[in-house]
Amino acid sequence: MSTQRSRTGKADDRLVLMQGTLDVLILRTLLFGAEHGQGIARAIQQTSDGELLVDHGALYPALQRLEEKKLISAAWGTSANNRRARYYTLTKAGRAHLARQSSRWRRLAAAMARVLGPEPELGS
Amino acid sequence: MTWRRRPDDDFAAEVQAHLALEIDRLVADGVSPDEAGAAARRAFGNATRAREDFHERSRWVWLEQLAQDLRYASRGLRASPAFLATTVVTLAVGLSLLTVAFTVFNAYVLRPFAVADATRLYRLAWRAPNAVGTGFSWKDYDELNGRTELFDAAIGQDMRFVTSESRTLLVSAVSPNYFTTLRPRMRLGRFLTPADEGQRVAVLGQQAWSRLYASDPAVLGRTLDLDGRAATIVGVVDESFGGLDEFPRDAWVPVDRAEGRPTEVVARLRRDVSPAQASIRLADFMARQAPPGTAERDVRAVLVPSGTANPVSVELLAVLSPVFAAFALVLAAACFNVSNVMLARALARQREIAVRLSLGASRARIVRQLLTEGLLIASLAGGLALVLAAWVVRAAVVVMFSTLPPLMASLLRVAPMRFDWRVFTFAFALGAAATLVFGLVPALQASRQPLTDALRAQRTGRASGSRLRNALVVAQVAVSIVLVVLAAVLSRNFAAMVKLNLGYSTGNVYSLNIRGVEHEMVRPVAAALAAHPRIASVAITNGNPMFVTRTAAMAPQGRGAAVNTIYSFVSPEFFPMLRMPITRGRAFRPDEATTSARVAIVSEATARAFWPGADPIGQVIVFTRPQGPVRDDDDLDGYSQVTVVGTVPDVVSGIMFEGPDRAHIYLPATAADRHAIAMLITPRAASDFRPDMLRETFRRLGQDPDRFEIMSLEEMRQLQIYPMRAASWVGALLGGIALVLSVTGLYGVLSYTLAQRTREIGIRMALGATASAVVALVMRQSVRMAAIGAAIGLTLSFAALKTLASVVELRQVRLLDPVSFAAAILVVAAATSLAAYYPSRRAARIDPAETLRAEA
Repeated sequence: MSTQRSRTGKADDRLVLMQGTLDVLILRTLLFGAEHGQGIARAIQQTSDGELLVDHGALYPALQRLEEKKLISAAWGTSANNRRARYYTLTKAGRAHLARQSSRWRRLAAAMARVLGPEPELGS
Repeated sequence: MTWRRRPDDDFAAEVQAHLALEIDRLVADGVSPDEAGAAARRAFGNATRAREDFHERSRWVWLEQLAQDLRYASRGLRASPAFLATTVVTLAVGLSLLTVAFTVFNAYVLRPFAVADATRLYRLAWRAPNAVGTGFSWKDYDELNGRTELFDAAIGQDMRFVTSESRTLLVSAVSPNYFTTLRPRMRLGRFLTPADEGQRVAVLGQQAWSRLYASDPAVLGRTLDLDGRAATIVGVVDESFGGLDEFPRDAWVPVDRAEGRPTEVVARLRRDVSPAQASIRLADFMARQAPPGTAERDVRAVLVPSGTANPVSVELLAVLSPVFAAFALVLAAACFNVSNVMLARALARQREIAVRLSLGASRARIVRQLLTEGLLIASLAGGLALVLAAWVVRAAVVVMFSTLPPLMASLLRVAPMRFDWRVFTFAFALGAAATLVFGLVPALQASRQPLTDALRAQRTGRASGSRLRNALVVAQVAVSIVLVVLAAVLSRNFAAMVKLNLGYSTGNVYSLNIRGVEHEMVRPVAAALAAHPRIASVAITNGNPMFVTRTAAMAPQGRGAAVNTIYSFVSPEFFPMLRMPITRGRAFRPDEATTSARVAIVSEATARAFWPGADPIGQVIVFTRPQGPVRDDDDLDGYSQVTVVGTVPDVVSGIMFEGPDRAHIYLPATAADRHAIAMLITPRAASDFRPDMLRETFRRLGQDPDRFEIMSLEEMRQLQIYPMRAASWVGALLGGIALVLSVTGLYGVLSYTLAQRTREIGIRMALGATASAVVALVMRQSVRMAAIGAAIGLTLSFAALKTLASVVELRQVRLLDPVSFAAAILVVAAATSLAAYYPSRRAARIDPAETLRAEA
């Protein structure tokens, strides 16, 4: 997956996305209304304070997958600055899926935090 | 439903839109337009890659790619016909052998009889603690047929051998509803119907029709001789139907109930009744069938599935799995061989593959492409295998009939071996499985090459590639060892069986059995035969050796427990006729025979078992009989003890595989005795005796000559050996093929590594290595592989035979035979040295100067 490759080649401190994570992020972004691919990519970068690493190109297979599963629907439209763009909208099934997945992720994150405990003092 | 969700250019437009929006955004953030374009593309990643990914995710791309792969593979294969021919033929041989085995299995086990609703047919039987039965009276049959709450219908069938113009036919006498219930396809004419009851009519089997009447379409209305009585032929069944048994029937006739013979009953269960339910509801009925005195709760009704000749069962599969395993091993050897060739080819194509990988082909795609090539080879081989298999089946039937003793050949019928969809499915699945076995490893291996090395044309793949190739050769040697051991074991057992000392001579002795014998018949017949000019002597028995053995529980008086002992009533002529010497004591005196004296002659094995170390003469044997009523077949009624007067050598009187009888006693009798039911006759020396010369004698006695079955004991012996003979041929065939495969495999690998090591060997020779040192180098490699393979193979065959030996309870069959193992090692060692000889000679002839120049 291109999301797992470091863009610069040297060690990158930013988080590499796990399979399935991107789907949730996309659905979450679309919760606020229809958006096109570039908008989604930007939104994810901004809301995660640049912590999450997303190749814009890697977004499209995920969009494709979600569209096939009928979690989002797509239609060509016109952007604010008058460019043609393909807009994605959350479907009812997508909304339900997001609700389920968010609670799963929160539980997982909380559990991981409990297991790992406070930041340990590492030797180095 | 659209077969592709979005056209590719729609996606491309979206990507363009994305980049445009990103540039707008960057420009709005203050980046210069030039830089913005590059930055947007950088943020996007590989746009071409994204478009390709999109394309490849669409549902039908695999089909497009498959077509591409097939085109590419067939082009590649056409370019190397030698490779194609080797692999296809090797694989076809392996596939066809297993297909042949499966075809036979299908014909006898899997394929349902070509009758209506074959899957609901069950043969009815009862089982008591020490008796089982499938024979019912016709009155009972009527009762079963009337159980409409259980059965749609029940048919009765009674099989018998019938003589027709001095040929033996296998005939079923059937209930009136037989044909109307089974509804087989007819080739000519009509079914037998209820209206035919009591009529002299017959329906012919397809094989009998072609054998007896040369498939004459005008056969209807002609008469068929059945035991001297004419029956009118009213129909011929289709080839697909031969009855409800393993052996196709020659003819069907309406039953004559007045004969009073028992019948088998096959019932078609109602759809709403399970076999278990029927079994419970038949319990009362079956309890009445069991021998008197058997407790009712001990008798169970048994419903045996009869939709195929042999219902599939765990026991059957357990018996057949070693056979299939042997055939499968040959296929495995063929796969290893082809795998090796493919691996060599893949390594030779290393550069091409590396180029394709570096041009962006995914590893999965390369693997798929190589597998497609394998699949193409497998399909060609599969097609060829079906042709080969059809030919082998036909040839095997011909060989079998021409090598069987004529006696058996005239009685044996073979089920039609058709290639139905099951065989095709099997062959297809086998081919696909073989492809995975021989194609996957080379494909994975080839796609894993480090790109840079391959592009630089370095032979760095040698280490791992040749390790794999060596492993494959080792596996081939192991398989061939297993099969050669098997072949050796089988042929050694066959040889032992041929040489097995029966304890009597079968030469120039004929057995005479009488169908439906009554012992009153025996005396006049024996007298007439003794007076016949061509007959030297006649002996009387209660069952001839190799035909019948009867046993009863007996114990040496005063010692030990009762042992199941074979007993034979014989007239005094018996021992000299079969050239059985009296080793101790004396033979029967004529007066002992006429008075049924309570004396016995025992085999030496009996003497050893009953009175170890003591003189058996004068000892007494006590007959112990189970409590309860006398059984019909118990003809020792009236005997309680006998005194031993002599001994004869160990004898093999029953099945030869079981070896010498553990205990066998002979009791005196004459033709007048009620035990006299069979005869042995010896023709005069130098007379050209033929059994049919006696027909006139029987006729003069007012007897139907067709009731007398005369067979030579020697022929019977041959017949008993035959299965072992056939097994040893099959074993030799499998072993031979496996050996050839492993020799060619080893040869291939040695030649290949030699080609790769030419330079190294050249350098060695330039530095002073002698030709013999180079030969030793190559030989060492082959010996190492052969030794490892042999070790694995020997371990495997030892384990397999040990398991088998614990299951096979035939005393005369030796499975763990050290000589066979030694022979297999020798054969495989010789074969592998032969395979290594030419490559090593070639290595020795390498010209150091030339190789060094060539590589410089």
